[in-house]
Amino acid sequence: MQISKIKEPKQLSKRIQWLRDYYFSGINRKWNNEFTAWTTGTPWDTQYDELTYYIVPETYPFLETFKSSMKQYARKVETPDNFFQWSLPERKAWFVKETMVNYVPQELLPGDLIAGARFNLMTSMCWTEEEAKAVNKRIYGKNGSRVKMKWFHDHGYGNAGATSGHIIPGYDKVLRIGWKGISAELKNHYDNLSGSEKESSKGAQLRAMMTAAAMPREMAEKYSNLCESKVKQESDTERKAELLQMAENLKKVPWEPAETFWEAMQALWLTHMLVMSDENYPGPGVSFGRIDQYLLPYWEKSLAEGMDKEFGKEIMKTFWIHANTAYDAMIRVGANQGISAGYGQLITLSGMGANGKDATNDLTYAMLEVIDEMSPILEPKPNVRLHRNSPDKLLNMLIDMISSSQGSPFLLNFDERSMAGMMREAKTGKFEALITKTNVYDYAPVGCLENTMTGNDRSGTVDNNLNLLKAVELTLTGGKDLNMFIDPITGKKEKIKQDGSKTGDATKFKTWEEFKEAYIRQTEYIVKKIVDLYETSESIRAEFNPTPYLSCMVKGCAEKGMDVTQGGAEISFTTIEAVTYATTVDSLLAIKHLVFDKKLTTMEELIKALKNNWKGFEVLQARAKYKTPKYGRDDDEADAMGRFVMDVWTGETWKYKTKSTHRQFRPGMLSWNYWVGDGYVLAASPDGREKGQFLSNAICPVNGTDINGPTSNTNSVGKVLGGRTEIGDWKDFVNLVPNGTSHTITFNPSFIKDAEHKEKFKAFLKGYVENGGTALQINILDPDMLRDAQKHPQNYRHLLVRVTGYNAYFTAIGRELQDEIIARISHEKL
Amino acid sequence: MAEKNTINAHLLEIQRMSTEDGPGIRTTIFLKGCTLHCSWCHNPESISPKPQLQWLQTNCMGCQLCVAACPNNTLSYVDNQIIIDRDICEACGICVEECPTGALEIMGQAISVDEVVQEVLKDKAYFEKSNGGITVSGGEPTMQADFVAEFLKRMKENGIHTALDTCGMIPPFAYEKILPYTDLLLYDLKEIDSVKHRKFTGNPNEKIFNNLLTISEWMKIHGKPGELWIRTPIIPDATDTEENIAGIGKFIAENNLQPNRWELCAFNNLCNDKYLRLGTRWIFEKYDLLEEEKLNHLTEVAKKSCGINDKRVLWTGSAKTKETKISKRGNEPQPVNYCRITGLPEEE
Repeated sequence: MQISKIKEPKQLSKRIQWLRDYYFSGINRKWNNEFTAWTTGTPWDTQYDELTYYIVPETYPFLETFKSSMKQYARKVETPDNFFQWSLPERKAWFVKETMVNYVPQELLPGDLIAGARFNLMTSMCWTEEEAKAVNKRIYGKNGSRVKMKWFHDHGYGNAGATSGHIIPGYDKVLRIGWKGISAELKNHYDNLSGSEKESSKGAQLRAMMTAAAMPREMAEKYSNLCESKVKQESDTERKAELLQMAENLKKVPWEPAETFWEAMQALWLTHMLVMSDENYPGPGVSFGRIDQYLLPYWEKSLAEGMDKEFGKEIMKTFWIHANTAYDAMIRVGANQGISAGYGQLITLSGMGANGKDATNDLTYAMLEVIDEMSPILEPKPNVRLHRNSPDKLLNMLIDMISSSQGSPFLLNFDERSMAGMMREAKTGKFEALITKTNVYDYAPVGCLENTMTGNDRSGTVDNNLNLLKAVELTLTGGKDLNMFIDPITGKKEKIKQDGSKTGDATKFKTWEEFKEAYIRQTEYIVKKIVDLYETSESIRAEFNPTPYLSCMVKGCAEKGMDVTQGGAEISFTTIEAVTYATTVDSLLAIKHLVFDKKLTTMEELIKALKNNWKGFEVLQARAKYKTPKYGRDDDEADAMGRFVMDVWTGETWKYKTKSTHRQFRPGMLSWNYWVGDGYVLAASPDGREKGQFLSNAICPVNGTDINGPTSNTNSVGKVLGGRTEIGDWKDFVNLVPNGTSHTITFNPSFIKDAEHKEKFKAFLKGYVENGGTALQINILDPDMLRDAQKHPQNYRHLLVRVTGYNAYFTAIGRELQDEIIARISHEKL
Repeated sequence: MAEKNTINAHLLEIQRMSTEDGPGIRTTIFLKGCTLHCSWCHNPESISPKPQLQWLQTNCMGCQLCVAACPNNTLSYVDNQIIIDRDICEACGICVEECPTGALEIMGQAISVDEVVQEVLKDKAYFEKSNGGITVSGGEPTMQADFVAEFLKRMKENGIHTALDTCGMIPPFAYEKILPYTDLLLYDLKEIDSVKHRKFTGNPNEKIFNNLLTISEWMKIHGKPGELWIRTPIIPDATDTEENIAGIGKFIAENNLQPNRWELCAFNNLCNDKYLRLGTRWIFEKYDLLEEEKLNHLTEVAKKSCGINDKRVLWTGSAKTKETKISKRGNEPQPVNYCRITGLPEEE
């Protein structure tokens, strides 16, 4: 069997090739950006912030290990005598600055054009003994956040925790006015405080932010000195000149406003990497926003002044390498040398500008070239925004990039539907003064695809992940777990007890309407439950984990004298991401169809089947799987159920705000990897899924149910988001899920096999703008998936392969032809 | 045949996001029933106009509920196989209803124009963006001319591009009903030698070639359909000869047909399982895909013979891959006994 063709980087200079190869040599590297840990030296000191990992269930068994190992290898930073008399934000700001500037070494890799290497930090929490005691009680106590979040996850509800990152800091402003300008603004805010305000937490916060705002300048000075010292050792005249220029750049930026493209990229990188240091977390969705828009003036100016375009791209490529070193944080832990999909420093390209005009520019194309030439590479993760007026030139380039790699090297975001969501949250969350018809086009995604505004918005986009399916389970049982929880590590059994609403004995329900009412009650319950859980970690973070440096770049924090972790941002939502959506919809459809409409089974029998994980009920399971209506087929009746589920859970979500930080909850649909892991936690579901099988991913239909092709799948997604109506949120587009919805479609390679088909594919994307959701990941059917289908045909019953428009069920065509098709797909010659 | 106003079709399948049956993104409506019986047919389930029951082994869980449910004892379960007694089966659908896994299906459901229109309009946005539309295919759609005419008319009322895919063996008076609402005509010319044509498809070819001439005249007078694509299936050991392609090309040139496209559709081998599902075997099951050189060569022959020397003449589909020699189908293909399919006596 031939090995499938993997995309190779191309047209890389010697410099970039070396840097790229060096990066991918992983643990064999002499230099890396592994976490370094730092302590105040007190016995109660802590570095590891477990709250930010509550949304990563795989780490639960290791929380204690991480915490103690960071503490063990933490090195001491000398603190001033009166350190613990300062306010916590001031301690934190000072400590991070001191560590970054005076303890963490400044280094430069050979040939690098951007300075700023080590940034993965585990800094001291800087707590006093008293603070540490208080925090420990709230985290590890009997009713502490850890116990609560673990119970929540163990019982299949999902997870929640106050998580770092997931924000677009005001980088454009830093470039425009420099840290000098930001410092001046902070000082102005501080000077305007009354005497008593200066004594209050407001004053402390602003003083902390002023300290933090000095960090980039001190950092840049150190790096400038480093470059100068390298000049002396350098014999190559060209490199000498580069190093001299870098030293000059660093003398100026990021303190002063940037003027050239090189300065802007340098300023941007230093400013960005320090956010990751400040948060003790390597790039969790700390995103750049519309980078091709705000960097354009520098790009154009430098080109006009004679910068070679290729050199401009070379600068960007070194920037790309820097972004990837985030993964070095735990380079020696786990598989793949720490490289995981867990981080996401997103860049946004193209998209709508003012008055519906397209904003694609020369820099957009140059950046796409950089992505194409560097791929495959993970960071920064590109998200390309499309809309009705996206130019053909852009679409052509995107489709060429998709067809030359087996999956798309970027995510697509769709403006009209996304902006409809932003307008909806403006109205429902009462931010109508901040998100308006005339600025909403400047939204951008963070992390993966979560839409936010820029420079003034933290919307906790991954903080709450709720399994909607739990409400179906609770409805079937009248508010209890279906199966007894047995701790997988200790084997300890936990008695089943009443937890959800007492909606009564489901076997007594006479009509579908009764069941539906009970389901609504249980959804109310699970939403309330995740809101309460979130409050525990959110309130701890607000009180004890300030990030004053990041707060400097989030509008609202200086004005209110509040840290971004306290809800200081002008726009401060927190998001519930619904997981298991399609599994939930299909389960309700199955109950309605099997028990009430067709009476093919009774509620008793169904519940018994689910308790037994369908063992002994295979015929009923098959009916549930194959003979009931499903979401994702553009079947109006089934999609109406989808809309019902959407209305119920989003409606509940809008009812809540955090108590400690007054952040409004908003709906989103991103499932990260929970749809895989939680499949082993949640009981069997009425749609025919067994415990241990995957749940549905984000807004996608359940795997294998999408039998009418990409257009029907897309139409279903658009419909359940609200479709298009006379009074839309943005023009006629409605979007019930402002955060955005993750949608993946896998295409046969034959869809993009030649110029004629590429045109058709382009038209499909234009159709997606009209009918689809907010974000689309395009996958191309790959040989691995087909090989898996050979091994597990039961999971791929509906997998169609196409050869020249001729469709056949892959699982039905016999081994020889299957092998032939795999070989063909490997060669992209369908 | 159904009454007027409530015209029903025998529908085989509606395939959305089809990219091979005309320009742009299309929805293709496959109707059941064909006037030819091509020995290589890739959609054997489309030949009979009658509804047919089919069993998909890969979907079957062996519960045998169908066997018990059948009122006529048509089904039996032997060696993990559902055996359908096709002489008795009326395709009533009771077993399909009972089957929990969808392993049993009726092909050829009755469907109304309204229902098809409703389904097709769901993809209007994609048609508009791609200059695509709908294609009526089969089977031979002109066998259900009243339905097709009404459906295409409704499509034109909705501003949707229409294509008709025909084998050319058209019943009398059918085309006049349909062509006024057709934008693109996809017309098969398979074999120039009438004797061979009869051997391959069960019918001589005179009527097909003559129909095209009549339609071509009609098109000139009415200005509709605006486009003509001629399609020739390239089938190994059958239509894949230079003489055949050159002959069809000569016919095109001599009659000044001026097609907007002439496609040589390369043989593909994915339909084995369809024959098995119908309880029979495909006589081409041991054939591999054609060599790319051969397809290129035939395309050159086609260009030369029809006098259109540009990309309007092309081959489509897949050729054998060079790098992989996957196909190990055992023996060399045996000479095809066409009579088994076409139902003609062995020696003419």
